[in-house]
Amino acid sequence: MSYRRIASAATLAAAGIFLLVASRPAAGQALAPAVKTDAKAYTAPRTPDGQPDLQGVWTNSTVTPLERPKGLGAKEFYTEAELKEIQKRERERYDLDEKEGLPPANHSGVEGAGPDEVHYDFAQFGLDKSQAKIAWNMRTSIITGPEGVIPPRTPEARQRNAARAAAAKGHEFDGPENRPLGARCLARNNVGPPMLQAGYNSNLQIVQGSGYVTIEAEMIHDTRVIPLDGRPHLAKSVHQWYGDSRGHWEGNTLVVDTTNFSDLNPFPGAQNLHVTERLTRVADDTILYQFTVEDPGMWTKPWSGELPITKISGQLYEYACNEANYGLENTLRGARVAEAEAAQKAAK
Amino acid sequence: MRTRLFVTAAAVFGLFMAAAPVRAHHAFAAEFDQNRPLKLKGTVTKWEVVNPHSWIHIDVKGEDGSVVQWMIEGGSPNNLYRLGFTKESLPPGTEIVVEGYQAKDKSNRAVGKNITFSDGRRLFLGLSSAESDPDKK
Repeated sequence: MSYRRIASAATLAAAGIFLLVASRPAAGQALAPAVKTDAKAYTAPRTPDGQPDLQGVWTNSTVTPLERPKGLGAKEFYTEAELKEIQKRERERYDLDEKEGLPPANHSGVEGAGPDEVHYDFAQFGLDKSQAKIAWNMRTSIITGPEGVIPPRTPEARQRNAARAAAAKGHEFDGPENRPLGARCLARNNVGPPMLQAGYNSNLQIVQGSGYVTIEAEMIHDTRVIPLDGRPHLAKSVHQWYGDSRGHWEGNTLVVDTTNFSDLNPFPGAQNLHVTERLTRVADDTILYQFTVEDPGMWTKPWSGELPITKISGQLYEYACNEANYGLENTLRGARVAEAEAAQKAAK
Repeated sequence: MRTRLFVTAAAVFGLFMAAAPVRAHHAFAAEFDQNRPLKLKGTVTKWEVVNPHSWIHIDVKGEDGSVVQWMIEGGSPNNLYRLGFTKESLPPGTEIVVEGYQAKDKSNRAVGKNITFSDGRRLFLGLSSAESDPDKK
């Protein structure tokens, strides 16, 4: 983070605080503020078999954080003016850096990274958010409610995760099995559910057939196949990285119920995860996405969130992650070299 | 002053910055060595436009005239495709300068932090940011 960026963030923050004090929450704002549309007046088109049509290529890329930034308290929504300011800043971020001859904003793409982050430049590869379409909304956090953060974990969950971390410590690079699912191109938590943004290439394609809705996530290639025929969930003994989803329509809303997760994804340590999602097309170019996450063995209470999903032009591109995952090989080879060097040093 | 400003800014950082942290596909620090920065001038021989990361192959000519081959890791190509780039956008024979870090195993692989043409123009820069503009949807 550059000094200039820090300074301008502070200035903007001051402006934001002023607005916070000066503004009063508008009545009715809590109803559908994630999207600026009159959901009631809109009727979604229908598929040939009569389902509300959610099909197309969409993005859930957003600048809204999952958890509410500290200091905002119970403030759930920005005012129009604050949002305009954020949008302006996001739009100008890239150009400003260019003008001032600085490397593009947060250029490694790794939040909080210093200028020497060992990483390629996100802006150079089109991965910087300012170069992508963003699903704008007025929320201060994706998580809804006065707290706006993931609730505390239960003592048992903390203990369980700490034990797991302790067992893994020192063995992170032993072999491919020790690397995270994402680094192995196996699974990523953006697929969810809940479906949260992927950071880049944060795109989804929805295809509907008779009795099914499928959602493909570009990152990192997974397709959720959601049957609508009311069949029961898989046997309790079956656990999957993305769980087991069942859907049904409640009016114009697709409700998806997912259980049977493994405890590795999307929230490591959550052994009895249950996610409910609601997808409602509220405009030609917008789906309102809402979700509730619960696992009494993991968190002290359920938590919910919402964000708009926006239509994008073009198609989903293949993300054949395993095709050339040199990174995994390089990482393990690097670890072997480091071990050999350490052994040599110890022998001296 | 700077420290205090930083604390203030850090407290509200989340207001303006991206949502969930943008995580690298894999831990770059495990793959590349921060203590081995490098700057290479070379000629592109091949560009592997593959996921999860693109790889640019270059020939680097040493002072003694010997040619050494390097592989440079870059970003996922999908967004470049969306922005109009193709495999032909970086043809073999293109001269580039790479600033980056060498692989920890000391092989001729590196992450290309910045890539520029030999005349100083930056590679892939100057792309449209219009997509993020809510007024230009």
